Amino acid sequence: MKRLRDWWSNPWGRPRALVAVTWLYIAWSIVPIAIAILFSFNAGKSRTVWQGFSTRWYWGDPTQSVLHDPALRSALEQSLKLAALDMAVSVPLGVALALGLTRWHGPGARPVNVLMLFPLVTPEIVMAVSLLLVFVTLYGIQLGTTAQLLGQVTFSVSYVVVIVRGRLLSIGKEYEEAATDLGASRVAALRLVLLPLLAPAIFASLMVVFALSIDDFVVTDYLSSDASTQTVPIQIYSSVRGTTTPALNALATVIVVATLLAVAFAYVVHRRFTAGDEAARGSALREIAAFDV
Amino acid sequence: MSEAKGGAVELVELRKRFGDVAAVDGVSLRIPAGEFFSLLGPSGCGKTTTLRLIAGLERPDGGRISLDGVDMAATPPHRRKVNTVFQNYALFPHLSVFDNVAFGLRRRRTSRNEINRRVGGVLEAVRLEGLEKRRPSQLSGGQQQRVALARALVLEPSVLLLDEPLGALDAKLRKALQLELKTIHEQFGITFVYVTHDQEEALTMSDRIAVMSDGRVEQVATPEEIYEEPATVFVADFLGISNLMTATAEGAHDGRCLLRLGESELHAARGEISARGEVRIVIRPERIRVEPYAPGGENRIPGMVERVVYLGSLEQLVIRLATGDVLQAIVVNDGEPKAFSQGVPVRVHLPAEALRVLPERPAGEVT
Repeated sequence: MKRLRDWWSNPWGRPRALVAVTWLYIAWSIVPIAIAILFSFNAGKSRTVWQGFSTRWYWGDPTQSVLHDPALRSALEQSLKLAALDMAVSVPLGVALALGLTRWHGPGARPVNVLMLFPLVTPEIVMAVSLLLVFVTLYGIQLGTTAQLLGQVTFSVSYVVVIVRGRLLSIGKEYEEAATDLGASRVAALRLVLLPLLAPAIFASLMVVFALSIDDFVVTDYLSSDASTQTVPIQIYSSVRGTTTPALNALATVIVVATLLAVAFAYVVHRRFTAGDEAARGSALREIAAFDV
Repeated sequence: MSEAKGGAVELVELRKRFGDVAAVDGVSLRIPAGEFFSLLGPSGCGKTTTLRLIAGLERPDGGRISLDGVDMAATPPHRRKVNTVFQNYALFPHLSVFDNVAFGLRRRRTSRNEINRRVGGVLEAVRLEGLEKRRPSQLSGGQQQRVALARALVLEPSVLLLDEPLGALDAKLRKALQLELKTIHEQFGITFVYVTHDQEEALTMSDRIAVMSDGRVEQVATPEEIYEEPATVFVADFLGISNLMTATAEGAHDGRCLLRLGESELHAARGEISARGEVRIVIRPERIRVEPYAPGGENRIPGMVERVVYLGSLEQLVIRLATGDVLQAIVVNDGEPKAFSQGVPVRVHLPAEALRVLPERPAGEVT
């Protein structure tokens, strides 16, 4: 008994209590996802009773698998398409905004800096309703992919700005000054020095935007038109009440794996970019982790 | 490498404000081609801002900057024939040593062969051969400093600007690199404008020094002059330990200024010898003669040794004069038995030719 107590609360040993709490938390948050993924491989139609391993809900089943069910397949395609478009638009736009905001010292820079954070703190449902209103009545934008993309970009850009601006501030002005001193124009200094130094933040932004887009339900749902613009979260949400098969689990699993692959890819690229730059290493992961996405 | 020729820099009434602070407040300097010129002063005196104005990284609020007689005010930094060695080097962390040094040449569309030749040459000059492929983070502080130097020198600028380039290094390395910088200056024959707060660094390397304070130039002169004949109280005080005393001047007599310091009468042969009224007088510690106690004598004041500090080759005596002033005197450790120890009464000889009368700055401008 004494030995057990010493093992548990030895002031010179590892903080076992903290370790235990950490592992408990990890188990608590991973178990539901693990079970959901597990049942995507169920041979039977049940999402609660294990009936053997199979890949029928991914591609084996000729009508109900993710590959063959037109609704599921279309949702997956729409999700990935929106994510790709959102990354392609938000990241360059956010980088440009961050550059402008940090290198712009005129009056107004400060309020704009604060305003940039607005989308981060606005409740999503409020934003979704407002966007729907202005898109439909004011701008006359047709609901569907375009509206969904514009809606996602609206909030994604803020995340990109926050991530890139943080890195910009830690980089400081001296590298750009050195570049111009050595004969580079401002554009050349940006391209040859600042952008490579920003690479970790840009990759972090790409991944954050991907996760935000794949994950988004409220805004994307409000701005969707018909069945063809439903994304994976909308599809899963709307089929929960109906008859469900493990194909939904398979669909969700595809999204989880895609997100993990994206993060892993970003990490590998980031390590290559920051070889020899210890300070920058790991910052992208920290930047991703800083957002609960 | 030595075909590069130095450029002459001229600053006229240069001004730069940051908010309410006048960082550079009417600086005029004339730096001839090929000179090793230092801007010396405490932090915040405007020396770095002056350098950045020459580099074009800041835009002056007023005044002129010309290089070889051509006004540079409208020239953006990347078109000026000056290059800078930054305080923290600002080496590009994502580029190798070679690419860092080749950066400027590539901006000028230099051919590949030419780049290889010139980068190789300059890396040899700063003794960094074999490290071309390293990243800056894999180099020591001294090596990084040399890369920064090579990166600027390879462009063969007519003026090289150096912003406290040795500030981040330890004392021993600093000494070695001081000599190296001096050698490189002679080898390349270009103008160096060197910013430092380290008076020893400025004295050992420079052809001429400008001492700055509060955005203004206090004195421009050779190291000897700056040290031996400080023009102002500030310069005297900033350049090492100066024994400053306040005395009453009574004008010139036979080419020497008659001074009253408490009960004693002193003669000073240097500085503003015709001054009258309250003045500041200064004498360097190594010019003070400490003698065994005896009453009277010309330019001699009785005092008492308060403290003896052993410095190895030298000995520093802190002496309280009968007038109340405290002086520091440096005595060479010549192996003789120590004549002075704490509490011993002495007679301090302040030779007239070492005693200097300083012009007081106008009231309200004293820092």
